[in-house]
Amino acid sequence: MEYISTGHGETLTNPVFHWAWMILLAPLAGFLFQAALDKKIEQALGKAAGRRLLGFFAVLPVALGFVVSVVLAVNLAGLDEHSRLVITAWFNWIDLQTLRVPFELRIDPLSLTMCLIVTGVGSLIHLYATGYMADDRDYPRFFTYFNLFIAFMLMLVMGNNLPLVFIGWEGVGLCSYLLIGFWYEDIENAKAANKAFIVNRIGDWGFALGIFLLYWVYASSQAALPLNETRYLSFDVLLPFAQQVLPEFGPLVVTAVPLLLFVGAVGKSAQWPLYLWLPDAMAGPTPVSALIHAATMVTAGVYLVARTHVFFELAPIAMAVVAGIGAFTALFAATVAFGQTDIKKVLAYSTVSQLGYMFLACGVGAFGAGMFHVTTHAFFKALLFLGSGAVIVAMAHNQDMRNYGNLRKYIPITYATMVVAWLAIAGIPPFAGFWSKDEILSAAFFTQLVQAPQLLWLIGWITAFLTAGYMTRMMMLTFFGQEERWRKGVVGAHAHHDHASTHDNAAHAAHADFSNTEFFLSDEELAAEREHEEAHHHDLTPDHEPKEVSVSMWFPLAVLAVLSLAGGAVLSGLNPFAHLLGAHLPHLFEEWNHPSVGLSVFDPEGAFRKSVAIEWALIAASIGAAICGIAFFVRRYAKGLPESEVELQGVQKLAGEQWLYDKTMVRLFVDIGGKFANAFYRIFDAGVIDGIFVNGSAKLVGAFGLLLRRTQTGLVRFYAFIMAVGVIALLSYVIYVTTR
Amino acid sequence: MQTGLTPAPIDWVLLMPLLIVFGTGVVGMCIEMLRPRSNNNAIVATTLLGLAAAAAYLIGTWEYPTIHTFGELFLSDRVAKILQLLIIAITFTTVLYSEGYLRERRLPFGEYYPLLVWSATGAMIMATSTNLLIVFLGLEVLSISLYILAGLSNREQQSQEAALKYFLLGAFASAFLLYGISLLYGATGTTQMEDLRAIWNTPLDKPTVGLLYAGLTLILVGFAFKVALVPFHMWTPDVYQGAPTSVTGFMAAAAKVGAFAALVRFLDYATPMSDAWVPMLSALAILTMTVGNLVALVQKDVKRILAYSSIAHAGYVLVAVVAYGVLSREGSAAQPVSVVYYLIAYSFMTVGAFAVVSLATRGGRERTELNDLNGLWERAPLPAAMMIVFMASLAGIPLTAGFLGKLLIFRDALDAGLVVLAIALAVNSVISAYYYLRIVLATVVQKPALHAPRFANPNAGLVATCLVCGLAIFALFFAAQPVLRELEAPQEVFVHRGP
Repeated sequence: MEYISTGHGETLTNPVFHWAWMILLAPLAGFLFQAALDKKIEQALGKAAGRRLLGFFAVLPVALGFVVSVVLAVNLAGLDEHSRLVITAWFNWIDLQTLRVPFELRIDPLSLTMCLIVTGVGSLIHLYATGYMADDRDYPRFFTYFNLFIAFMLMLVMGNNLPLVFIGWEGVGLCSYLLIGFWYEDIENAKAANKAFIVNRIGDWGFALGIFLLYWVYASSQAALPLNETRYLSFDVLLPFAQQVLPEFGPLVVTAVPLLLFVGAVGKSAQWPLYLWLPDAMAGPTPVSALIHAATMVTAGVYLVARTHVFFELAPIAMAVVAGIGAFTALFAATVAFGQTDIKKVLAYSTVSQLGYMFLACGVGAFGAGMFHVTTHAFFKALLFLGSGAVIVAMAHNQDMRNYGNLRKYIPITYATMVVAWLAIAGIPPFAGFWSKDEILSAAFFTQLVQAPQLLWLIGWITAFLTAGYMTRMMMLTFFGQEERWRKGVVGAHAHHDHASTHDNAAHAAHADFSNTEFFLSDEELAAEREHEEAHHHDLTPDHEPKEVSVSMWFPLAVLAVLSLAGGAVLSGLNPFAHLLGAHLPHLFEEWNHPSVGLSVFDPEGAFRKSVAIEWALIAASIGAAICGIAFFVRRYAKGLPESEVELQGVQKLAGEQWLYDKTMVRLFVDIGGKFANAFYRIFDAGVIDGIFVNGSAKLVGAFGLLLRRTQTGLVRFYAFIMAVGVIALLSYVIYVTTR
Repeated sequence: MQTGLTPAPIDWVLLMPLLIVFGTGVVGMCIEMLRPRSNNNAIVATTLLGLAAAAAYLIGTWEYPTIHTFGELFLSDRVAKILQLLIIAITFTTVLYSEGYLRERRLPFGEYYPLLVWSATGAMIMATSTNLLIVFLGLEVLSISLYILAGLSNREQQSQEAALKYFLLGAFASAFLLYGISLLYGATGTTQMEDLRAIWNTPLDKPTVGLLYAGLTLILVGFAFKVALVPFHMWTPDVYQGAPTSVTGFMAAAAKVGAFAALVRFLDYATPMSDAWVPMLSALAILTMTVGNLVALVQKDVKRILAYSSIAHAGYVLVAVVAYGVLSREGSAAQPVSVVYYLIAYSFMTVGAFAVVSLATRGGRERTELNDLNGLWERAPLPAAMMIVFMASLAGIPLTAGFLGKLLIFRDALDAGLVVLAIALAVNSVISAYYYLRIVLATVVQKPALHAPRFANPNAGLVATCLVCGLAIFALFFAAQPVLRELEAPQEVFVHRGP
C-alpha cells in the first residue's frame, strides 16, 4: 500500500481504509478457488456435499465484502463531511513520463454506496442461487463466473481512475456475456449472449473515446494542475480541476466529454437506442438477471454519470440529452412491458424503464436522487426477479404468464414478498420506490437546467402510471384470479427459455460432446447425472402442483422484502413529508452521498422550497398515478386472462414487439448491414485489397526477386565485377561531393 | 600519438577477455595435436570452459572504468564490452550444438573449435579497437579462420567452392580496406581514429579532403563486404549455403557483429564527414534491404533464404547506424543503442535458426531445401517450436526481440528525419514476413513426403542452444529496460597516456 490520503491531500492514519482491498480481493479469491478446485471438491466430497461447500465458499467472499463495506462506511461517516474521500494505492500499474495510472481504490460515499449494494444484494442473490442452481450440471462454473462478476463490479465502482473503471466495465461485460450464455447448448442463448456483447461494443467505444479525449485534454492543458501530477486519469485529478481545464478547449470538448461517457452509459445501462440486448439477456439463469441485469451491472452507467457529474454540469446540452434519453426510454420501455407474456421479459423492460428514470434524474441535475433510485431499485427489482425465479421453479420452468394464475395459494411466501416489491415499484408510500421516484419527479418538475422541465415531469408521471399498470398486470396474471390456467392446457410453443437442459436425445448427444465433464466423470457417473437431469426436468403439465421453494431461496426474498418495505422511508428520513410538515428529519441518503454527487433538489437554497402547494400537488399526483394504474388494471385482470391476450393482438402486440424497433434495427444493421458488408468484402477486400494490393504487389515483388536472382551467377569474376561497380559508384559520388 | 620509444602502459584487465578466448583456442589446438584420433569431447569442454571464463571475467570487471590503453589502440567502453560478451555468447551457443552436427556430417575435425574461437577473437578485436590497422588485423584474424571453416568439408565440392569464393572476394575487399587506410594515412599521417577526427576538424586543402573522402569510401567498402551490404554481398548466399551450417550460423552472427562494431566506431570518429557517408550509407541501406528481401522471396533453399535474410538484416542495422550518425551529429544520441540492441537480437535469432536447420542432416548428407524441413515438428517438436520463435523474431513480430529492435531502429530513423529509410524498413519488414512464414510452414505444418530423408537426433547441446536463443529473444523483449539502460548509460573515458 503506497499511500492513503483524503481528497484534500491530508494523510490519514486510520489503517482501516486499507481493508478496502479485501472487498475487491475476496471475490477474486473466491473466483480462483472455484475455478481451480470445483471439480476436485465435487469428486472428493461427492456431489451434494461438494456443492454445499462450493456454495458456501461462493457466498462467503461476497458476504465478507459486505461486512467490510459496512465497517468502512461507519469509519467514513465518522470523518468530517468534506474529508469523506479516501484513496488507497497499491502499486503503479502504468508508469510513463506522461501518464501514471496507479492501482488505486477510491473510498467515498458514492463508491461505498455501490459496494454496499453490490455486496449486500449480491450476497443475498448468491445465497438464492445456491438453491436455484442446485441441480444444474454446471453449478461450479456458475459460481466461478458469479464471483468473478462481483470482483469486476467492485473494481468498476471502487477504481479511482478511468482505466481501472474500464477494466471493471469490460470485466462485468465479459461475465454478463458468459452468464447470459450460461446454457450455451441452446443456440438462442448463445445468440442472446452475442447480442449483449456486440451491442455493448458501441457503448464501450464511446466510453473509450471519452477516456482518450480526457487524457488528451488533461495532458495538454495549461491549467494549474499540481506540479508533477501525471495521474491524468485519476478521479481526484479529473474532477476537481474540470472547471479550470475543460473550458480551455472550447465548447465542443466541454460537450463531447460528457456525451462520450454517456454513450458508454447508454450501452451498459440499456437505454434507448442500445437497450436491445437487455431483454434478450433474460436467457441467462434468473439469479443472473437479478444480480447483473437488474440490481448492479446495468446501474454502472448511472454510477459513471454520477461519478463524473462535474463534466455533465459543465455542458447543458449533454444534460438535456441525458434527461431526454432517460425520459424517452422510461416511457418507451414501460409501454413495451404491456406486450410481454414472459414474466422475465416484463421485468426486463421494467428495468430498462426504471433505468430511464435514473438518467432522467441525472439529466435534471439530481444525481443524488438518481443514485437513491439505483439503491431502492436494487432492493425491489432484485426481489422481483428472485420472486419470478421462485415462480419459474414452482411452475416447472415455464415462464409464460398466460399459464399462471392463482399462485398465491401455492407459493405464499413468494407471493407475499412479491406484493411488497409490486407496491414498491408502483410507488405506493411507504414502500421504497415511492421515495426515490417522487424525488426524481419533483426534480424534473423544478429543475432550472433544461427547457420545459414540466414536459419531462409529464413523461415521468405517465411512466409512473404505466409502471403501476404493467406490474399490476403481471401480479394479477401470476398470483391472483381463480383460474389456474395451466390446468386447462399449456400455451406458448417454446415455453421454457430459462432452463435449457433440453431433453431430446440429439441435444443430449451434443451436450455430452461439448461437455468437459466426460473427462472427469466415469461413464456410470455421467449416465447417472444424465438420468438425474432427465428425471428432474419435466414440462409444465395440467396436473402440475406448484410447490414453495426452499429456505435458501425464500430467505433472500424475505430480506429484500424488508428492504423494499422500509428501505426508502428510512434512507430518505420520510422526506419530502418530513420537511413539508416542518419536521427536521435528516435525509440520510442525501446527507451521506452529497459530498460525492452534490446536492440535488433538497438544496435549501434551491427551487424546491418555493411552493409548498405545488409540492403537495406533485406528491398527490404521483401517488394518484400509482393508485389509478393499479386500480385500472386490477379491474381489467380481475376475471383472469382476457380473451384478447390469449394471443396478443393489435396495439398490444405491436407494443410487445417494441413498436417494431428491434425488428427495424435487425433489418437495418444485421440484414442490410450484413449485405453491405458482404458486398464491400467482395468488391473492396477481395477485389481491391486482395486482388490488386496483396496478390498484385506480391506478384510484382516476386517478379523483381526473380529478376534479381539472375544476377547470382555463381561466377567469382562476375561477383568481383559487381563489387567494383559498387566501388566506382561510391567513389564517383564522393568525387562529386568534393568538387561541388 | 605515442612515440615508439616509451613503452605504452598496458592495462591487462581490458585485454584479458581477448587473451582468454585466444588462449582457449591454443589449448584446444594442443589437445588436438596430442591426441589426434580420439573424439573431440575434451576440446569441446575446454572451449566451453574457456569461453565461460572469458564471459565471467568480462562480467566481473564490468564496472571497471572505461579505459583507452595499449598505446591507445584499444578502447573498452560499454559498447565494446557488450559486443564482446555477445561474440562470446554467439561462439558458446555455436559450440554447444556443433559437435552433434559435425558428427552427423562426418566432419570430426578437432581444429574446428580452435578456429572458431580464433575467429571470435578477431571479431572481439574489431569490437574494441580504435586504430584502423588493429581493426584490419582483427578483420583478417576473423576472416582467415572463417575461410578455413567454410571449406571444412573437404569431400564436398560445394564447401570447397564456398571457401575459395569467400577467400578470393574477401581478399579483394581487404585490398579496398587496406587501400582506404593507406589513403587516410597518406593524408594525415596516422591510423588512430581520434587523431583522424582531430585532423578533419582543422581547415584542410581540397586535395587532402579528396584523399580523406576516398579513403573513407574505400574503408566503408571493406566493412560493407564483411557485413554483406548490396552490392558487396554477392558472395553471401553461395558461401552461406556451401559452408557447414554451424559455421554459417557463426559467420552470419559473429562476423557481422565484429564488422558492425568496427564500422560504428569508425563512423563515430568520422562524424565530421557525415555529409558524405550519410547519403552513401542510406542508399546502400535501401538497396540492401530491398535486394535481400526480394531475392529471399524466390529462394528454395533454407540456408540461401537465411543468407538473403541476413543481408536484409544488415540493411536494417545500417539504417540504425545512419540514424545514429545523424543523431549524434546533432548531439541527441550518445550511444548507438538501437544498433547494439539489434545486433544482440539478430545474433540470437540467427544462431538459433541455423541450429535448427542443422538438424536437416543425416549420415553425412545435408539437405536444406525448404521441403526437407517437412515433418520436423513431429521429429523434434522443441527445436521446431523454437524455429517459430526465431522466424517470428526475424520477421519482427511483437513479443520478440526482433520486433523491439526494429521498433527502436524505426523510431531512431524518424527522430533523425530519415523518413525514406523508415518507410523502406517498414515495407521490407512486410515483405520479409512471407519467406519467414514459408519456413515456419515447411517446419511445422507441411507433412513430409514418404521417402524423405530423416533428421538428425536433436541432442542436448542443440536443445540447449535453441532454448538459450529462444529465451534470449523473449528476455530481450520482456526485460528490455535493463539492457537499454545499460546501453544508454553515460560513461567517462580514461586515457592511459603513459608516465
